[in-house]
Amino acid sequence: MASNDSGKTLLIVDDSKVSRMVIKANVLAVHPDWQVMEAGTGEEAIALVEQSVPDYCTMDINMPGMLGTDAAAQILQAHPSVRIAIFSANIQEAVQTRAQQLGALFVAKPVTEKSIGQALLHFRGPL
Amino acid sequence: MSILNEIERDALTEIFNVGAGRAAQSLSEIVGDEVRLSVPSVEVLRSGAIDEQVLPRTRGRFATVSQNFDGPFDAEAVLLFTEDRALSIVRDMMGSQMSLDELAEFEREAMCELGNIILNACLSAMADMLEISLNSSLPQYLVSSPDDISARLASAQGDESYVLVLHIDLVIEKHQTDGHLIFLLSSSSLHALVEHVQRYLGKIGLA
Amino acid sequence: MSTAVVPRFRAEDVLDQLHGGLIMLDAGLHILLWNAWVARHSRVPADQALDARFEHVFDERVSPALLRAIDNTLGYGLPAVLSSALHRAPLPLYPDHGAAQAAGALAAPARMVQSVVLTPLDSPEGERLCLIQISDASNSVRREKMLQSHSDVLKRQVGTDGLTGIHNRRHFDEHYAQTLRRVGQSGGTLSLFMVDVDFFKQYNDHYGHGPGDQVLKRVAAALQGQLQRPGDLLARYGGEEFILLMEGLSHRQAAEVAEALRETVYALAEPHAKSLVAHRVTISVGVCTRAVQEGMDGRLLMSAADAALYRAKLGGRNKVVATD
Repeated sequence: MASNDSGKTLLIVDDSKVSRMVIKANVLAVHPDWQVMEAGTGEEAIALVEQSVPDYCTMDINMPGMLGTDAAAQILQAHPSVRIAIFSANIQEAVQTRAQQLGALFVAKPVTEKSIGQALLHFRGPL
Repeated sequence: MSILNEIERDALTEIFNVGAGRAAQSLSEIVGDEVRLSVPSVEVLRSGAIDEQVLPRTRGRFATVSQNFDGPFDAEAVLLFTEDRALSIVRDMMGSQMSLDELAEFEREAMCELGNIILNACLSAMADMLEISLNSSLPQYLVSSPDDISARLASAQGDESYVLVLHIDLVIEKHQTDGHLIFLLSSSSLHALVEHVQRYLGKIGLA
Repeated sequence: MSTAVVPRFRAEDVLDQLHGGLIMLDAGLHILLWNAWVARHSRVPADQALDARFEHVFDERVSPALLRAIDNTLGYGLPAVLSSALHRAPLPLYPDHGAAQAAGALAAPARMVQSVVLTPLDSPEGERLCLIQISDASNSVRREKMLQSHSDVLKRQVGTDGLTGIHNRRHFDEHYAQTLRRVGQSGGTLSLFMVDVDFFKQYNDHYGHGPGDQVLKRVAAALQGQLQRPGDLLARYGGEEFILLMEGLSHRQAAEVAEALRETVYALAEPHAKSLVAHRVTISVGVCTRAVQEGMDGRLLMSAADAALYRAKLGGRNKVVATD
């Protein structure tokens, strides 16, 4: 089970540096061999994805510039294989529904070991 | 002088944004429409410095909702809006097209509840993320002139007092309002808060 | 223990004389205290309430906002308020019998307008409890005026000079429930119209939110102009959604009314450069008409109207779909 899970790349998108580091620290604790890229805005994320497509992505919603859900939609349109987990403090129903419609997982902040676990499950897909 | 470094400020901003998300959800259920609430910035100031930053020279008065809380640190939390913005928030929350006169009748109650929702959401986010427990008083609503507020802030905790100032951005029924959330604390409370933030950062390998 | 003064009265007697409600809940929402005021206004006696689960002790639904606030108070130990301004009546509590009812003899009694405060309490064993304090907020003169004018709206003929303002979702839900009960008893039909402004997000994005608000006001006024009789009810149900309730129409008449609503908004000729169906603001309407049985679940009528609205959208918008 671990064999097809090694060496994956993860893109973390969040305007909060602390948030990015919390996610990174929690993910690397479980998968120390993964490569992690970071972006502070939706636009930066889209640009990074064009250069190199990650396997997985975590996405915040409220960021300066483009909304995370819109960035996620764009990324998924160009690269439908990317698995996205939306991590946000914005927990309203409309937002959760939109995330689900995109095929992304929605996880409410704060980022905890448990919520990271949910994201990792979504990334691995059904076993 | 900066009491908080950049990472600590980022951590607090993140904590308050989690609170804002929870408050926005509660408010959207009351209003029946999407509500957006965010905390774009957090800073620590000496209480004297608050005037130019937070109390712009408006002729109008300010609507404030305050709660006193204690736990590992004590503070008075005050949510501030200009009075006319408070009235239009109340109108948006109540959803009917009442005149401003009729709204004034409900202003105190509705603002108390709005303030309580936002303040409690921030306190609960602090409790969850910093792993602490806080007690709070019930909300109090007061409309004051800028001078009264200055005086209140100055006398609050004595000389060695600080103010944690959050700029907040609220959108209800497609109307955008900004306001401030201020935490008045003594220097020992501020240090206790900073210690807890550092502990939180330490846990995730950042401090 | 010191030689304490023996109290000359019992605390329970004070609680039962209190002019206001007191309920105490434990972490599992079991009722530990239920004073006489609450028993009287809920019609649930204390011996039935004590130890029962709070969400199940009433015949009717308790507001989800109240349940969430209780959860938060128990979970975080923070006090909360539910103002009558924003919640009106979170608990199924009623004024004492004998209060004058509105002229309609079959009108169901309205809940008492309430102000609710939640405070956390720690028991001597260190268990966290939630104290609920309820006060009757129906007293102010202004509030009487507001409630009165709303009930007048239900009764009187609507002219084109406008009303006090259209209702919001909360008021609609309450009046809907009352109307269902009344028509269920007397017999008759109800038609529920769900109206949605087409391409409204695009309107806001293109023209701005200010003009968007103005358009909603003009659409509301246009819809209002179509209300004819006592009992016709219009409310704003969401950002760009409206809902109407009318009694005593046949399926065909309801379809005609829906078409008149669509036409009246179309005739506003509000320019909308970003509409994909017409270069003006239009609405889609779904309507469902049914004979009301006693105890009928109102949500069925609503979801049928909603499904009809959805078909109107799919069918190209600026369109009416009527169903039964």
